[in-house]
Amino acid sequence: MHAHVDTFSYDDAIVRKFLWATFIWGLVGMLVGLWIALEMANPAFNLGLEWFSFGRLRPLHTNAVIFAFAGNAIFTGIYYSTQRLLKARMFSDGLSNFHFWGWQAIIVAAALTLPLGFTQAKEYAELEWPIDLAIAVVWVAFAINVFGTIAKRREQHIYVAIWFYIASIVTVAILHIFNNLSVPAGALKSYSIYAGVQDAFMQWWYGHNAVAFFLTTPFLGLMYYFMPKAADRPVFSYKLSILHFWTIVFMYIWAGPHHLHYTALPDWASTLGMLFSVMLWMPSWGGMVNGLLTLRGAWNKVAEEPVLKFFVVAITAYGMSTFEGPMLSVKSVNALAHYTDWIIAHVHTGALGWNGFLTFGMIYWLAPRLFQAPLHSKKLAEWHFWVATFGILLYVAAIYSAGITQGLMWRAFDETGRLQYPDFVETVMRLMPMYWVRVVGGTLYIIGMLIFGYNIWRTWMARPRTYEVPVLSAPPLRPGATPAHPAPVGEGLLARFTSARWHRRWEGAPLFFTVMVILAVVVASLAEILPTFLIKSNVPTIASVKPYTPLELAGRDLYIKEGCFNCHSQMVRPLRHETERWGEYSKPGEFVYDHPFLWGSRRIGPDLARIGGKYPDLWHVEHFKAPRAVVQRSIMPAYAHLLERPLDFAGIQSRVDAMAMLGVPYGEALTRAPAMARTQAEAMAAGIELAGGPAGLADREVIALIAYLQRLGKDIQQAAATTADAAGVAGGVGR
Amino acid sequence: MKLVDVMSASGLSSYAIVALLLFVAAFLAIVIRTFSPGSTARYEAPSRLPLSDDVVTPAPRAQE
Repeated sequence: MHAHVDTFSYDDAIVRKFLWATFIWGLVGMLVGLWIALEMANPAFNLGLEWFSFGRLRPLHTNAVIFAFAGNAIFTGIYYSTQRLLKARMFSDGLSNFHFWGWQAIIVAAALTLPLGFTQAKEYAELEWPIDLAIAVVWVAFAINVFGTIAKRREQHIYVAIWFYIASIVTVAILHIFNNLSVPAGALKSYSIYAGVQDAFMQWWYGHNAVAFFLTTPFLGLMYYFMPKAADRPVFSYKLSILHFWTIVFMYIWAGPHHLHYTALPDWASTLGMLFSVMLWMPSWGGMVNGLLTLRGAWNKVAEEPVLKFFVVAITAYGMSTFEGPMLSVKSVNALAHYTDWIIAHVHTGALGWNGFLTFGMIYWLAPRLFQAPLHSKKLAEWHFWVATFGILLYVAAIYSAGITQGLMWRAFDETGRLQYPDFVETVMRLMPMYWVRVVGGTLYIIGMLIFGYNIWRTWMARPRTYEVPVLSAPPLRPGATPAHPAPVGEGLLARFTSARWHRRWEGAPLFFTVMVILAVVVASLAEILPTFLIKSNVPTIASVKPYTPLELAGRDLYIKEGCFNCHSQMVRPLRHETERWGEYSKPGEFVYDHPFLWGSRRIGPDLARIGGKYPDLWHVEHFKAPRAVVQRSIMPAYAHLLERPLDFAGIQSRVDAMAMLGVPYGEALTRAPAMARTQAEAMAAGIELAGGPAGLADREVIALIAYLQRLGKDIQQAAATTADAAGVAGGVGR
Repeated sequence: MKLVDVMSASGLSSYAIVALLLFVAAFLAIVIRTFSPGSTARYEAPSRLPLSDDVVTPAPRAQE
């Protein structure tokens, strides 16, 4: 044996584990998705059980498909390709297994806590603080494992796929930590340290970049590895892939505010987000073209190879959603699309097409290699492809029409200048046929998933008794080694600059490279976020806005627990049809005590920013008990359990204390929150009884929730009244 | 005087634009670098990495 040659083997057992987890959680996440699609088409599917209501299950669906399905798919591909691209076994098998089991435990924790109503109310960051801590620990283990592998690699150049992995790992860590900073108010309850506008800003900085660095960059890394593998030719243009990488790292991080157009976010931030989003279109399409043109001269293979079929549709879906994303971020388009199903259609083009199909293609390619047996049936894979493709088409066609239909109905005025569809539920009913088509499309996609699972299972059944583990050998990398492919140095300043030694070094220097990525992400984030936090003029305060009373706070926590924000926004945009329909537009100063913010992102039900005082308390009692007895065609789940379950008065104190820690000025309530809550609840319950409603609601959860709803939008009305009074006095007109 | 007062007084509204310009500059440098003369030759070997990752010096199989 030569002294300068290492022998080693790859750990494929861990890849097989992640592969199975991808399938199992994918199926679970998609079935939950199908269930909530049924709930929207017919509220009977809420089953009258709180754990199955849309508000509780929707985050379970999103978390399962993003972090469990796509997450495990990413890890499958990363563990397979990283070892091979770096010619090294993973840094530590122990860390690999810790990562695997830790991640699955987190998924189980999510699947248990979300239906039970433990949520932080921030989209894709719903999991409560103990689970967040576990995620951080597991993620760090994953990072150490990958960076450790890079450190002991036997290949000088770090291939572009690994760049995408590195960017994903460091950025997801930063996003996760900063968006989840909160003050615990119990074992599974916490309040975001940010409030209102700032919380919204942090959340969508996170939310957008979770899409970027969880659903885009890692999958691009997978594309840059598995596409050349499957097509058996190098990527069309390596230069374009480098450009693709840096543009995405530089630009994505700025684009978050496009989720908050026309909200109470400062206008400059919103415009900045829009500009960067539009700029993102170019590099995204560069990446799409790069992926598709990798097949140049090999298009004939697409006809016979299901793996390539999946990749072609995946990359096309990437192209479509990255064209649509920038378009949706243009304010005037966003004014129509925001809060509608258009956004749901957009994410499903991305999720079902790009993430799903790239995963399927990758696993069809991997399965024969990992299970060391030929794929059970190419024909079934073809069937999977066509059934799922048809499913996606049905899904998105129906939901795009639903989104645009509802958006146009909301803004329609009749010839007398009044809202053409003042009754909100009418705009919901119009969508019902589309919702049923979605159910069909989703079912087809899941049938495809079952065919996929059967095919992989049969392939696995044909595996050898023991897997062969090839032993490889390669020379170790000497420290400071120069690449085996030196570049010619040309004449002139430009040539000297571009071939400078520092340039050549940093492409092979993972540490320097990682620092650059972190710098790009942090500088962009700070430039955008700091001003909102530190410049007073961005959030003008409103004197009449006061903290919630202890009872209202408890009600707000129930609103969070039931996931009401999944269907109801609390944000009136300064658009004529919005102010006409809901009332005065929302101001940044209204939300200074909102830990977390609850603006919502989809209006399946009416906006609630101005609901306070619109209906009497008794109306709410009846409506929670049986929504369709009050609003005939409503699709809201029933919340009868709120009328029965006793309110935890004693627990209110720790909630008030946690809020006070965050700087919410609670005076008297700091010492006697439960007593204050009880007094308010008794007064309200007496009023409900007097109005002919049920007796004995003073200690029920429903009272707290109604107290909260009746408060919404009230403070701003007082401000208006005070201003009017002041103007009246100044003008000498007494009232 | 609180941090917010200091930051408000320091006129940071243009801060985002400065950062934007820095980013554009860094990005242009990368574009120039990537498409500079000689880059095609430079990236030839790296672009083949996914295809060459199985090609290693043959070694005896492990005993299982």
